[in-house]
Amino acid sequence: MSLVLTRIDNRLIHGQVLETWVPYVHADCIVVANDVIAGTPLKRMMMESSVPSRMRVEIGTVEEVAVLIASGELDNCKTLLLFGTTIDALRAYRCGLQYQQLNLGNLHAGEGKTRLSCTIFLDQEDLDALQELEQAGVTISARCIPADTERSWKKLIPKGRKKA
Amino acid sequence: MRLSRKTRIHVWFRLLLLQCSWNFERLQGLGFFYALLPALRKLYVRDELRKVAREHLAYFNTHPYLAPLVAGAVLKLEEERAAHCEQPVAISDFKEMVAAPYAAIGDALFWGGLRPLAAGIALFFAAKGILWAPLVFLLLYNAVPVAFRIIGFVRGYQQGLQSVEFFQRRCLPDWAIHTKEAAVVVLGGLSAFLVFQHLQHQELVSWFGLLALLPMILLGLLARRGVSTLLLTLISAIIIILLSLFWVDVTNLIVM
Amino acid sequence: MSAFDLLIGALVALFCGLDRTAVSQIMISRPIVAAPLVAWFLGEPLVGLQIGMLVELLWLARLPVGAAIPPDDTQVAIASSVLSINLSRLLDTPETELLLLCLLVAIPLGKVGQYFDRFSRQYNIRLLSRAEAYVDSGNLVLAELQHLRGLLSFSLAAVGTYAVIIFGGFFLVPVLWPLVRQPLVLSHSWLQLALPLVGVAVILGTINVSRALTLFCASFGMAFLLMWLV
Repeated sequence: MSLVLTRIDNRLIHGQVLETWVPYVHADCIVVANDVIAGTPLKRMMMESSVPSRMRVEIGTVEEVAVLIASGELDNCKTLLLFGTTIDALRAYRCGLQYQQLNLGNLHAGEGKTRLSCTIFLDQEDLDALQELEQAGVTISARCIPADTERSWKKLIPKGRKKA
Repeated sequence: MRLSRKTRIHVWFRLLLLQCSWNFERLQGLGFFYALLPALRKLYVRDELRKVAREHLAYFNTHPYLAPLVAGAVLKLEEERAAHCEQPVAISDFKEMVAAPYAAIGDALFWGGLRPLAAGIALFFAAKGILWAPLVFLLLYNAVPVAFRIIGFVRGYQQGLQSVEFFQRRCLPDWAIHTKEAAVVVLGGLSAFLVFQHLQHQELVSWFGLLALLPMILLGLLARRGVSTLLLTLISAIIIILLSLFWVDVTNLIVM
Repeated sequence: MSAFDLLIGALVALFCGLDRTAVSQIMISRPIVAAPLVAWFLGEPLVGLQIGMLVELLWLARLPVGAAIPPDDTQVAIASSVLSINLSRLLDTPETELLLLCLLVAIPLGKVGQYFDRFSRQYNIRLLSRAEAYVDSGNLVLAELQHLRGLLSFSLAAVGTYAVIIFGGFFLVPVLWPLVRQPLVLSHSWLQLALPLVGVAVILGTINVSRALTLFCASFGMAFLLMWLV
């Protein structure tokens, strides 16, 4: 299995992923693990058609993706794995999809979310999910595009909330 | 009820200001609301208007050149909704669905491909000292985006939901790659031209102009590793300045 | 230096700076357009053309994708044009060497552009929440005004960056000039070659094309041989 990048990005496949990360990590396959996109044919088709034809795209629910990667079918590809939310990332990890590094890209604002950096907004549930992943041995860092400096997500959390 | 041509043109012009209030929370959300407002005012009244307006303030971000395509389609869908027609996809779902893929295409095609291509060509003129170079750049670059903005808006409005096919059939991601390849070729020619021009000034034109490729490849590899442009520029400037000082000392010694 | 020149520079900085994100994106914000434009107003378009050429390619590889903010090459180009035209009159020196010094000072200072830009995008969140409140209370006219107020924060970011580079330049360049004059006289033509080539190299390193290097080397070699032998 060669996962070159595992990233949480609420926009899934978009310019930042295709234009900056793909050349940076030399990925030739993008895997999207998202239940909503996988369940809606039109959304799925739209997402697939934004990727150049020489790249492989796999879109599935979190469970499907975990099975697909475990099956070894993508072993020869340099895979870029995308999740929409922290919860999905945790679910995949629990399903046996073991990744060592997790990149936080865009997690957009919403009800009850607090801002940790310009593009990352998290609520308590997200924090708990990330905490659990970190305890399982995943290195979590925030980096929007390769040209940004990489920061550990712990540094983003304001002092008062660290315990929570 | 159909929107008048005047309203549609008004919306189109407002789309030029799409990113005025770009913010980290909803990105172009407020801008999209602003652009659509003249049309919404025609279609809805009072409470309904307020509800729909609130909905359009949601998270939204796409490429500014492809936003007219989205907006055109949304206008069509809003007309249908105002007339209480059955809709297969909710408008907010439609916006969310097309935003990221369109953004991906636009970024690849315009920022990643067309911009270096047009800049590369225009710089040939600039290197020759021709003052029209900026105009060459603007004309070369803007032809395609303006076409996308106008045709996209018209097509989007005509086809509504079907406008997504406009983009699927065109294999735009592959076009983006072709444009980028063309840009690389043009930039190669431009670099050769700059090197040649420089050597001609120094009266040392010969095969070793080709050696300029070596530092360039080295710099490219460093950039690929994530070294910032600022650092690369400053390092190469310092190396050049030091080398030239060193070179003068050497030639002085030889003369002595 | 004249206040009038600085003012014209500030106007161009505002006009072109807004094109970067806020208004229309017709690419008058690219250095190759902005620098000759301001230099033309100041009466020396060729200086601007030179600067535009040197800066244009440097950050072309940094794309304004999503929430990513590229370095502010517009203000670097405009401010260094204004600086080098004014300082060359003030210090009474040949232009090319001074132009390079202004540019080398402006390039790192341009970094503040990113901070200002980030700040204005942060500030705009407030406009958004105000607009939401106005929509809820049914006052749509005020809600759409909030959007236009974003113009103000982006204008401030553009002019602010311009001002920082100009002031920094006016302090640093005259101090540095006697120190680096000699080396710059010796190396200016090489530096002028190096800046665009660094830009091209960065584009090559980061562009999303699988055989970028092959294509580039082939076209470079071909073009060079053609010019040399024919």
